[in-house]
Amino acid sequence: MAKRLLPHLLLGFSAFLVLLPFAYQVSLSLTPPEALFGSPWPFHHPLTLENYRVVLEKLPVGRYTLNTFLFALGSALGQILLGLLAAYALVFRPPPWTGLFLGLFVLSMLVPFVVTYLPSYLLVARLGLLNTLPGLILPMLTAGYAAFLLRQHFLGFPREILEAAVVDGAGTRDLLFRILVPANLPTLLALFITLFIGAWNQFVWPLLVANRPDMYVLTVAVQRFAGGEGANAWGPLMAASVLATLPTLVLFLAFHRTILQTLMEGGVRG
Amino acid sequence: MRAGAGRRGNLGGFLFLAPGLLFLLLFVYWPLLYNLWLSLHEWNLVRPEAAFVGLANYQALLENPAFWQTVRQSLIYMALAALGNFLVPLGLALLTLQVKSPWSERYQALLFAPTVAAVSVAALVWLYIYLPAAGPLAKVLGGLGLPAPSLLSDPDYALPAVALVANWKFLGFHYLIALAGLKALPREVLEAARVDGAEGLPFLRHVLLPLLFPTLLFLLLSALANALDYAFVPIDVMTQGGPFGHSTNLMYAVYQEAFRFFRAGVAAAQAVLLTLGLGVLILGQLFLLERRNRG
Repeated sequence: MAKRLLPHLLLGFSAFLVLLPFAYQVSLSLTPPEALFGSPWPFHHPLTLENYRVVLEKLPVGRYTLNTFLFALGSALGQILLGLLAAYALVFRPPPWTGLFLGLFVLSMLVPFVVTYLPSYLLVARLGLLNTLPGLILPMLTAGYAAFLLRQHFLGFPREILEAAVVDGAGTRDLLFRILVPANLPTLLALFITLFIGAWNQFVWPLLVANRPDMYVLTVAVQRFAGGEGANAWGPLMAASVLATLPTLVLFLAFHRTILQTLMEGGVRG
Repeated sequence: MRAGAGRRGNLGGFLFLAPGLLFLLLFVYWPLLYNLWLSLHEWNLVRPEAAFVGLANYQALLENPAFWQTVRQSLIYMALAALGNFLVPLGLALLTLQVKSPWSERYQALLFAPTVAAVSVAALVWLYIYLPAAGPLAKVLGGLGLPAPSLLSDPDYALPAVALVANWKFLGFHYLIALAGLKALPREVLEAARVDGAEGLPFLRHVLLPLLFPTLLFLLLSALANALDYAFVPIDVMTQGGPFGHSTNLMYAVYQEAFRFFRAGVAAAQAVLLTLGLGVLILGQLFLLERRNRG
């Protein structure tokens, strides 16, 4: 009995430790200023929504959320579309040198971003796309992960189905959007959410490219707030950070089964 | 695939690859080459012309003690990642295998949760936890009668304090790939892993460990290869590399050289050295992955 409980105890305690910072985050966002440094434990204080009122009054949270949403949506959809086309070609219509092309997609995941950011920044600046949505999104559209993950899934897809459809007169668009997409919907959904959350949480690239206040994404806005009005105002700052985190957390909670399963199958990088 | 399409179908396939490849060329491979070119030049991002200086940027780096301090600290970040993003997640994954559904899935979701939050935002919470004197950590340590240094401004503690945040943030992801790796092993291996105590130990050493070795190596390499990347944002938010560069690493140093000090050439040279160093780890990882997929 004790032996069966031990894993539960250890895992439960680890989960508690891992989630503790979130407890502080939420607790602080509900703390009145005078109670900030009372108890070292979360939720040992009177609760207030005042901090949220302050943040919503001082920051155009709606605008930042819209920027972030469009940036994340464009990045995720773009990567999926490019990855889908590439994976389709790699598996079902391999051109000459398929191995080389696959290698280019895989290796692209492994180039450190600090190597590519300066040249990418200069390129985006030269195109006149600083502080624009396309400038934010275009460099995110390196679809190595999407292409690789979808290729792994397509490899196990029965070719005969596609061949039969071609005999029946189906074109490439039908093969992709009437057969492959519906058949791989859970994977595509999990991939979309993973990429969406990934882009939502991007910090360094938006910090460099979108530095005009009306183009801030949430991560940048929260950081600017932390460095300015929100400095030492832990309540409002954490309220802002909760607002920035909530959408991704809700997405994860709603789809965690599919996401975890797909990540475990992909196995390279999240 | 098309009946009798042969070569024509193949070339058609290239059309579908082209858009994805275009973006890779524009935002990965061209930057990689441009970076190499830049590393041989001196440029402040503002002057119209970059001046060719040969290998001077590399020489300046290799002769600079601050660079070697950064290298040393990068290795410390990696060592701490081996602990926090390899050993700990592996232990948690092994524990999870002993737990039945639905608890197994519950622990997975809970432990994975920090991965979903933005690291830049999460690091702010840790700033509060680490606050000297008034913060919860200092109070708890004080309550236990332990000294509570101001972690982030102390040259000895800043790096481990930042590394803890990075390890915490990405623990869930490494836990998940550890779990996936273990689950991909043959069933008998996993059942044998439950054998305990005296009879288990020789078995562990001579049968289990050799079977597990490729998976373990893969997990270790992926923790090491990502360690500097993971620490990047926590460094930027919490210490900006300080105090006196004691919590910086190679990746953050490249960024600072380029975007704070505008020494594009030096940044590029450092980025080249970094890429070569990480390349070894990453190629090892790919090799193992390829072998696993084939086996």
